[in-house]
Amino acid sequence: MSNKNIIELSNLTKIYQRGNVDEVKAVDDVCLEVPEGEFLTILGPSGSGKTTLLNLIGGLDKPTGGTVILDGQDISRLSESELVRVRREKVGFVFQAFNLIPTFSALENVEAALAPTDIPKNERLERSNELLRLVGLEHRADHLPSELSAGEQQRVAIARAFANKPRVLLLDEPTGNLDTRSGKEVLRICHQASRERGQTVVAVTHAGYVKEYTDRLLFMRDGKLFSQIPQEEFEEQV
Amino acid sequence: MNIAGFIIAISTLITLVMAARGWETCTTVPLNDIGTDIILFYTAPINPSGSGCYIVNHLFSYPFNQSLLTEFESVPEVERAVPILMHRMRAMVFTGIDPSETETNAVLPSSVIEGRYLTPDDGHVAIIDKEYAVLNNLTLGSTVNYAADFEVVGIVEVSATNIMKSHIYVNLPVVQESLPEKPIGLVNMALIRTDSPDKVKQTAAALEERWPDARTLTGSDLAETASGVIQINEETAWSVSIALVIFTILFTIKSQLGNVAERTREIGILKAIGWSNGNVVNQIVAESLIQGAIGGMLGCALGYVFASYVLSTIGGEIGGALKFVTVDPLLLSAGFGIALVSGIAAGLFSSLRAARLVPAEAIRTV
Repeated sequence: MSNKNIIELSNLTKIYQRGNVDEVKAVDDVCLEVPEGEFLTILGPSGSGKTTLLNLIGGLDKPTGGTVILDGQDISRLSESELVRVRREKVGFVFQAFNLIPTFSALENVEAALAPTDIPKNERLERSNELLRLVGLEHRADHLPSELSAGEQQRVAIARAFANKPRVLLLDEPTGNLDTRSGKEVLRICHQASRERGQTVVAVTHAGYVKEYTDRLLFMRDGKLFSQIPQEEFEEQV
Repeated sequence: MNIAGFIIAISTLITLVMAARGWETCTTVPLNDIGTDIILFYTAPINPSGSGCYIVNHLFSYPFNQSLLTEFESVPEVERAVPILMHRMRAMVFTGIDPSETETNAVLPSSVIEGRYLTPDDGHVAIIDKEYAVLNNLTLGSTVNYAADFEVVGIVEVSATNIMKSHIYVNLPVVQESLPEKPIGLVNMALIRTDSPDKVKQTAAALEERWPDARTLTGSDLAETASGVIQINEETAWSVSIALVIFTILFTIKSQLGNVAERTREIGILKAIGWSNGNVVNQIVAESLIQGAIGGMLGCALGYVFASYVLSTIGGEIGGALKFVTVDPLLLSAGFGIALVSGIAAGLFSSLRAARLVPAEAIRTV
């Protein structure tokens, strides 16, 4: 882990408008610093704002207030086209529902992340195959997501997230749809990557075994982030 | 779904336009084959003379004096009026022609495939139809009998679409003398050539107005007499087709928007992994373009088959209409091009909406 912060959130707020008057503070004045290479886990009940927080860090959504500094760049002020570059080059997402393109093979799903880059096609395929090998799925390259188990689909999603060699991996409930064995395998791969490649991981999960891999645990409730997790809350969450 | 829409629109366009062209051609060919624009005949006797049986059994229409042809030529726009006397006995058709008329006639010199054409000085000699010759083992020098004996001096090949197709053609004065009714100086049809193809209808109307018992037959009349077919001209065909293509574009846009709505999550994922709005637009437009290309190709092929079928159903009426269905590369290219442009338009419209999706919201879509 380095001393340099790769993520800095200052007074980050995201308010959703429901109807004309009703406002929901999904993220409420959050401040957070994440050093480069850290494996950070955020726990919290459903609707506490964890996914919104990840979306704001990854440039999938824009904050209502506050700033998101990612790798030294304030992405909360960027235009959509500039955010595209951030998502493409600096961030890799892994979602709970895998979010693979159903009509693409495993290889094509990984390659899709490289498609908008200038990398030549054969190089893209080579790198995609390499990533599938990394997650132990080189023999399933031509299979459609529907032909893969849940654990395998999530490993393809991880390979896709690694495709652009991102500085930050954002894992949104990556083990939510997996059994313990597959879930551990997914976290192990991400943990190994963060250690070997110096990638920062921010994970949102309910899996108790995340403790084996994480450097730091935070707790989120009603849009606010807490560094101390009450034992009963932790047990309830996991 | 979109491909089906393109197929329906483009095949309809090709079918209508090709059928319209084929139809127009096959209705004008019977007259063009004999170099005429109008066939004039009488449906009532000019002078109540001659026997009714003679008319009913042997002539196709009431005879009239050959000298009337000079009067026909006095009508503006009439360039030439050519006399014809067609006589029928049992299944045989025996036609008297003026051989000096080589541009407009029941049979033209260009139809001769063996021997020679008739000359104004010819007596008891005839030219005969090839099919009739083959059927009866007739060759040059053979003798045919129809009211009198005639030596075969020429064999002609006449298209089935030639409305004046006969078995035997003889010099007109010889026919008038030879027939038992002795219709000296009489003919029963006049082939009218106008000096402008655009004024055929107007000329026909002028002739009927001046000679009220006379009836005229033009290419468009032939089209109206053919049954079992929706008569449509090329202009109407294009109008109907363009309307259909516009409908298809709107249908495709709607369908594509539905498609985009269904794929909202997919588009959100692609944007989340670094696809730009341009990448999303390119992807959707490319898909739509491929659909347009496949639909356009299948539509052109299907349109050609349909047009062939439509014209084959009227083949019996005019004769061999199917052969008038010609593959026009320009029309096929236009059909294919319209499908491509429609595909791009539909893809562009829906993809621009898709590109506006916020990735975080799109991913949340179930």
